[in-house]
Amino acid sequence: MSLSAIIFYLISALILGAGLMAVTTTKIFRSAIYLLASLVGIAGLYFWMEVEFIAAVQIVVYVGGIVVLIIFSVFLTQQAGQQMPATPRNRTLWSVLATIFGFALTWNLVSAYGFKALDVEFDDNVERIGTKMLESGSGGFALPFEAVSILLLAAMIGCIVIAMKSTSEQK
Amino acid sequence: MFSLENITNLVSTWLYANLDPTWALVVQFVIVGVLVISLFSILGLVLIMMERRVAAWMQLRLGPNRVGPRGYFQTVADTLKLIVKEGMTPDGADKFLFNLAPFIVMIVSMVIMAPLMFAKGFQIWDVNIGVFFITAVSSVSVIGILMAGWASNNKYSLLGAMRSGAQIVSYELSAGLAILTIVVFSGSLQVSTIVESQADGWWLLKGHVPAVISFVIFIIAVTAETNRAPFDLAEAESELTAGFHTEYSGMKFALFFLAEYVNIFVVCAVGATLYLGGWMPFHIGNWTSFNQVMDYIPSSAWFFGKTFFLIFVIMWFRWTFPRLRIDQLLNLEWKYLLPISLFNLLLATVIAIMGLHF
Amino acid sequence: MSFIRQYLSDVISGVKSLLTGMRLTGKYFIKHKETNITQQYPDNRQELFAGLPDRFRGEVVMSHDDNNEHACTGCTACELACPNGTIKIVTKFDMTPEGKKKKAIDKFVYHLELCTMCNLCIEACPTSAIKMAQNFEHSVFDRRDLTKVLNKPGSKVREGVE
Repeated sequence: MSLSAIIFYLISALILGAGLMAVTTTKIFRSAIYLLASLVGIAGLYFWMEVEFIAAVQIVVYVGGIVVLIIFSVFLTQQAGQQMPATPRNRTLWSVLATIFGFALTWNLVSAYGFKALDVEFDDNVERIGTKMLESGSGGFALPFEAVSILLLAAMIGCIVIAMKSTSEQK
Repeated sequence: MFSLENITNLVSTWLYANLDPTWALVVQFVIVGVLVISLFSILGLVLIMMERRVAAWMQLRLGPNRVGPRGYFQTVADTLKLIVKEGMTPDGADKFLFNLAPFIVMIVSMVIMAPLMFAKGFQIWDVNIGVFFITAVSSVSVIGILMAGWASNNKYSLLGAMRSGAQIVSYELSAGLAILTIVVFSGSLQVSTIVESQADGWWLLKGHVPAVISFVIFIIAVTAETNRAPFDLAEAESELTAGFHTEYSGMKFALFFLAEYVNIFVVCAVGATLYLGGWMPFHIGNWTSFNQVMDYIPSSAWFFGKTFFLIFVIMWFRWTFPRLRIDQLLNLEWKYLLPISLFNLLLATVIAIMGLHF
Repeated sequence: MSFIRQYLSDVISGVKSLLTGMRLTGKYFIKHKETNITQQYPDNRQELFAGLPDRFRGEVVMSHDDNNEHACTGCTACELACPNGTIKIVTKFDMTPEGKKKKAIDKFVYHLELCTMCNLCIEACPTSAIKMAQNFEHSVFDRRDLTKVLNKPGSKVREGVE
């Protein structure tokens, strides 16, 4: 086993272990932190695959954005510091069963397809990603990019409208 | 001429000649780790001394002058004190997270150092998304602060952590947009390419008005991101005793303290790289003899000189301006810095597309 | 348009006021040798004794002349003026040559440990008997040493001071 493979298995163990801890711990804040570890592990996996741009995006979006958001909502929750009651046994049983079935389904699909390696030159050149985003011809992503932009803009304006105090009503 | 590039090349060639690539890489990791950790401790000593001296001189005082010659061993004495102090863990704290938090903050500031270019050809990792990597990883440090605030089980710590979180998340936007302005000019995210694009002049000088505006915004935003006065609401001592690190003592506190100073160094190094040309010497157009004299100054001296100049500016802010209120802080970001930097980015893009910069 | 003009002028005036502050501290930083006001006390002890500012207040003393006479009539104006009971005047009755009883001070007790150097007693004194000295080295090993009797033993009030 080469060093690269050892690193891969270490990172995978971190991701899976942290993910498992995130769903089994009874303290909600710790759960958020384990989720963070899991997401950082995924970013590490991307770094291992040498797709740095995706890895950095993973960190910005999930670690810097979503986990911080989750932590903030945990802070604002009542009794967030208390230990939650342990999960009832039959609920654990069913969730374990659901996990096993999900895993079996995925395994079935993957093994039917096989681990075929694509013989395509792979790179994550940021410049190419950028041009593809704004390309309208074939292989371009201009339409989805713009659609998502408009969606986000609408969401932002909606937030401002909701948060804005209407001064006229108060008078 | 003194150059760090030769040393690194020599070490690298020797390692790859004598070891197999995997082990050479491991040895390189170890060397880099030792160098980064020693840089950390030196930076901690130097910057804290510098801060105290600058503070004293700006407040009509003398500063430390008793320990060692002219007081220069004061920080060494302080460090010794912090090392021998007991690192207490409060009874009601979440002990695991409480002890983990300082290390997260510390590791994050270590990782950000990777793409920095300290001198010509002297860089840990020339990743092709260098600047974006720094922005991305620096957003993780807020988690360490939130963790510290939460795990302390102390209302002041929690309030400080939440303030800090809100502040860092907001100011990251304008810092990112300011960085993006220079990325638009130079057309690359890679640190080495950005530095090379400034061989004929620094972006601050040849980028017209947008570069200057984005430089000012960048400095303000990173001052806020590193939780320094006038944006030190997270540890406003008159309101929150010490904010998120109220409950920390001894070496655990020292790690937070050190991380703060290393973060200042890193953001100032990024500022120097983007706007002041990194290790590029100062050149004026066709003055060949002047340019040659400038070339004789080693590139590391240029880099550290620029970085320390920016650090001095940030310290100057700290000892001049009073602390902002939380609403003023958010007003400044959302009503002033963000719209201005968005507009500025548009202007910079127009200039870059038309090729109007020098 | 006026809204944009307002916005820009806000930004400009804000930046200008910040630069004013930075210019001041920058000046202090560059000229720190001249502007620094720290007294390096144990090192420049002799200098400090020679030249403290006129209005520096160290402790209350009673001035005596060569004949061991002071100007205190024992009117207790200073005792009444003192906000925290620093001064306690113990009076006695002297016999004048004419055989009359005359009020005079026995002890002018001054508690230095309570004194805040507010100067109210000096202003209250009608005969200028007490004044502020500039002595500032008040450390003692025993707290009792801080309770002082200001009139020297055997001193008496100067002739003609009423």
